[in-house]
Amino acid sequence: MYKDIGINLIFLRLFLFVVIFISNAAFGVSVISHKSVDVKSLTTSQLRRIYTMRQLQWSSNVRIKVYVLSSNHLTHKNFCKENLRIFPYQLDRIWNKLTFSGLGVAPTVVKNQAELLRIVSTTPGAIGYIDNVNKEGHVNVIEIK
Amino acid sequence: MLLKLNNKTQCYKTILLLMLSFAFNYCVVANDEFDKTWQVHGFVAQGMINVNGSNFVNDEQNLSLKLTEVGINTSYQHSTNLRFTAQVVYLNGGNRYSKGARVDYALIDWTAYNDENWLVKVYLGRYKNNHWLYSSTRDVPHTRPSIILPQSLYFDGFRDIAMGADGIAINLNYSAESLGDFDFNFSYGSSELSSKEVKVLLGEHALGSGKKKFTAQASLNWQPEYSQWRFGLSLLDSDFNYHQHHQQDFFSDGTFSFQQYSISALFEGEYWQFSSEAFQQNFSQDGFFFPGFHQRNIGQGAYAQFQYKYNDQLKFLSRLELSYADKNDRNGKKLERKTDGVVPRYFGYQHDITLGASFDFNDKLRLQIEYHKIKGTSRLTPITAPNKLLNKNESWSLWALQLMYWF
Repeated sequence: MYKDIGINLIFLRLFLFVVIFISNAAFGVSVISHKSVDVKSLTTSQLRRIYTMRQLQWSSNVRIKVYVLSSNHLTHKNFCKENLRIFPYQLDRIWNKLTFSGLGVAPTVVKNQAELLRIVSTTPGAIGYIDNVNKEGHVNVIEIK
Repeated sequence: MLLKLNNKTQCYKTILLLMLSFAFNYCVVANDEFDKTWQVHGFVAQGMINVNGSNFVNDEQNLSLKLTEVGINTSYQHSTNLRFTAQVVYLNGGNRYSKGARVDYALIDWTAYNDENWLVKVYLGRYKNNHWLYSSTRDVPHTRPSIILPQSLYFDGFRDIAMGADGIAINLNYSAESLGDFDFNFSYGSSELSSKEVKVLLGEHALGSGKKKFTAQASLNWQPEYSQWRFGLSLLDSDFNYHQHHQQDFFSDGTFSFQQYSISALFEGEYWQFSSEAFQQNFSQDGFFFPGFHQRNIGQGAYAQFQYKYNDQLKFLSRLELSYADKNDRNGKKLERKTDGVVPRYFGYQHDITLGASFDFNDKLRLQIEYHKIKGTSRLTPITAPNKLLNKNESWSLWALQLMYWF
């Protein structure tokens, strides 16, 4: 009997591991772009350059239009931590410096994820991020390596 | 129009009207298309400051509301590589710098080259000093760590000289997976100072005009890949001329020459931030007091600053700062002796211990408060004629509180 319980526990652990793995994959933050953007994957470093406004154009010479959620939004915090490996306040510092010294333009802040998805899907050159993409047909999903 | 700012009042009015019109459009007809080409941002901050023991803000040395900073900027993306942008600010800091509206920057921003690793940008027009940690946004309250920045490097008396100039600025950025980010900046330009700005710098009796003959600045910053540290060094070379107004002018023609070398380090952790800048300045003066007068000082200064983020809303700050007007006269005794006791020795240095806190009500509204305990008076205006009567004490202090909103 003890042996059966032991085997059941192993199966239970395996099951939980698979569930957690799938939910992480399914509910992590996805980087999305407009359909016209011909980029399938980016490294963390390249994504950082785009979000710190150091890379301003795609290789096709189309201007990159960067969209973000507000700094306090949980999805934004997760995106910074998981995809950019940077703290949200560091991005705020960089963007404030660009905005108020004339050096550049900060990303456009949108109200919520639905709005972000809508604007990325209708703006050529746009990039953004949302939780768990299920409307892949409207936007491209960029893999972050 | 952006480059030639001779008729200042007219220019301020034109740019302000344009910006208000854009802001109105932005508020009333903001839509996707508008957002893609135009951006409008701004800030409003009002505070109170109480200085005890010096005329840093006002001669009366009582509670003052002279802590006002207002600004509005707009940016227009003309094409993929070309952008136009300008900012107007209104400042009132009492004796710290001259009160009034200014065109803070007015630029043509040209992206000369951009690929996955390189970004080269050229700015033409009135640019801002982007070479020190906080120099480009020193008047933008929510971007700086404290209401009063370290006066050793961010001396308010030099604000209008150090802020920027009319000319050209170049930014070159390179990133590589293994080497990290490199940022190189170069700027070259000149500007004229208003009579108010000359008086703040040189004193009420300076009736003449001032012209910054040129300012050349260069800086290099490096952030190793995925590192929380960033390191920088910068160089500055500037000449400033004073022209005697007429025979009644107490001062004669003069030239002030200023060179500075500085290094910086910044650490940004999840809860802790550390920043430090250290510099050496050569300040030489020819003429001004009388033809043939010559004086050269080598000043030094540094600060170390810690910030602790208690949570998303509350942050604390502590800072230690040391500053010497002449590195060969750290206790000011030579200064006192040279002036036969007219200028007390404590005008030869200024050290500051600062404690502060800030609270964010939301992502656009902040309250900031701080206390400074200061020893010495070398960073008070005017620099050429220290006011001994109003600054009788070696030790003085100040507290300040400021409410700021930005969008």
